[in-house]
Amino acid sequence: MRLLDRDFDVSVAAVAGAEHSEPTLRSVEHFLFHEARLLDERRFDEWLALWVDDGRYWVPRFPGQTDPFEQISLFWEDKVLREARVRRLEHARAWSQQPPTRSSRMLGNIGIEGLDAAGHLVVRSVFHLTEWRHAQRHLAGTVFHKLATTEVGGWKIVLKRVDLVNCDDMFGNLEVFI
Amino acid sequence: MTVSSRTLAGLVRADSVHRSVYTDPAIFELEMQRIYGQAWIYVGHESQVPTTGDYHTTRLGDQDVVMVRAADGRVHVLYNRCPHKGAQVVADGDGCTGKFFRCPYHAWTFKLDGSHLAAPLKDGLAGTCYDPVRPDFSMRRLARVDSYRGFVFASQAADGPDLVTFLGGVASSIDNLCDRSPQGEVEVAGGVFRVLQPANWKIFYENLHDTMHARVTHESSVVAAREQSRQLGELPFELLIMTGNGEPYEFWEKLELRAYRNGHGYMEGIFDPAAATRDPVSRAHFEVLAGVHGEDRARAILGMNRHNTIIYGSGSPHTVFQQFRVIRPLSVDRTLVEIQVFRLVGAPPAVFERALIYANLINSPSSIVMPDDVEVYRRCQQGNRARGGDWVSQHRYLGKDKALDDGMVSINGTSELPMRNQFAAWRAYMLCGEHPREYDEEATHAAA
Repeated sequence: MRLLDRDFDVSVAAVAGAEHSEPTLRSVEHFLFHEARLLDERRFDEWLALWVDDGRYWVPRFPGQTDPFEQISLFWEDKVLREARVRRLEHARAWSQQPPTRSSRMLGNIGIEGLDAAGHLVVRSVFHLTEWRHAQRHLAGTVFHKLATTEVGGWKIVLKRVDLVNCDDMFGNLEVFI
Repeated sequence: MTVSSRTLAGLVRADSVHRSVYTDPAIFELEMQRIYGQAWIYVGHESQVPTTGDYHTTRLGDQDVVMVRAADGRVHVLYNRCPHKGAQVVADGDGCTGKFFRCPYHAWTFKLDGSHLAAPLKDGLAGTCYDPVRPDFSMRRLARVDSYRGFVFASQAADGPDLVTFLGGVASSIDNLCDRSPQGEVEVAGGVFRVLQPANWKIFYENLHDTMHARVTHESSVVAAREQSRQLGELPFELLIMTGNGEPYEFWEKLELRAYRNGHGYMEGIFDPAAATRDPVSRAHFEVLAGVHGEDRARAILGMNRHNTIIYGSGSPHTVFQQFRVIRPLSVDRTLVEIQVFRLVGAPPAVFERALIYANLINSPSSIVMPDDVEVYRRCQQGNRARGGDWVSQHRYLGKDKALDDGMVSINGTSELPMRNQFAAWRAYMLCGEHPREYDEEATHAAA
């Protein structure tokens, strides 16, 4: 089953050091701030374009969850599911998006952890997210991005893992990407 | 504030219910006593407490309870309350308490069946009525606890029908869920989602067999999945399960709805079992089952094609994809749904992966299908507060449903038989037998 392809490396532990140059850190920060802005502004098509084709978006259900293959996840999405979610969010008859979910993200503590086995840059950050739809909700946690370099010198997302502080809590619907 | 029997009796008509059943906190309080304080309610599955001292907490109606495995293998269900100061003995969640419970406040201890074990400095209790064998000094057990194929239910009433009688025809859904395992055994696996619905609990039960809403409410996810499939050039499982709601009205009209006593029932399956045998996961599953039972029996087990089953007061097992959406009312306008996923012991791993994907995509808080359901539940909850009319319609195919020996069956899959059946049970519970109405009398009345 492709969605649960166990060959996908979900680990976010760095296995090698990465170059800690100021320009690299700045470009990573710029990339993460840009990603947050695209989500805040619901520019979903541009957000989808930030990913490599076989990238995975993961929000574990449990603290320290090791994989999405044996346990449920709040989100475990490949390209197909990310695109399907966006199609629904933008459909005129998505009743639960009347009014739409609005959100504001604050990122911080951005740091480069190192490289994973395939040489992707592992980046850790923390976030606070305020979401509104009928009522205001506050989400917070830690994010791990695994980033691949592109030919034109930018970054693409291979894995985005969001560890919510309340991941094992009761939730109302989570409709938009965190 | 209490609500008189006469008022309660007037809230349910053959073809409609009064909006206050969804919005009145006083009625909710009565439901906690007369439905959740009487009926058999699902607590959890035995596999959630595999070894001695393992416990699982949950909520039965308005009561915090703990299910625990004792040393002799028996499963007990206790109120989560220390008889000394009333403190909750265990924290919410799952854990292992060892050989006994120990209250964190003053170290009173209890055996795993709840009975009193010890209290420190017993001399200070001398000359009082303190006596370890008196129930007043033990954690109280729920009046009745029973298990059906590993599914543990409890009733807070000492009297009433036994569990098997209570379940009636829907026991066959639990059987089928278990029979899908070559060993006849399932276990809760992969974790449990907890989803909050800002609506009265009865609205969700009604929607479980509401075939008329599927293509209307779910248009956005159906269109999204279809467009995605078109772009992909195929229909993988994860998109297939999102497109099911998009079937035309003729499809839903042909489905069969079954209704049993006590508000239970089931709905015939949406996904074609013949198509399922063509996919490699189902084929592998069939072969393992056939190896144990022979092909005919394996075909019968996997061919029993049911979508949502309803065990009224407990929730909705889904046999084909091995889930149980356990429905826990929190208040008149808030409902918690616990989504359990089951592993069929001995079945190919890919069968569990399919259950996991179904849970993630259909039943999780992040589902792209369910938010539109939850939105319409919320709108019903809000709309029924308005003075725009007092009655909620259940007219569809009224009087046309057919009586069977053990219940009723729809002649058309869009019948509102399930809602009428749920409220017939609701009415009987709420009137506490003061004006007992037999099930088929209700149906006959409905036909008039």
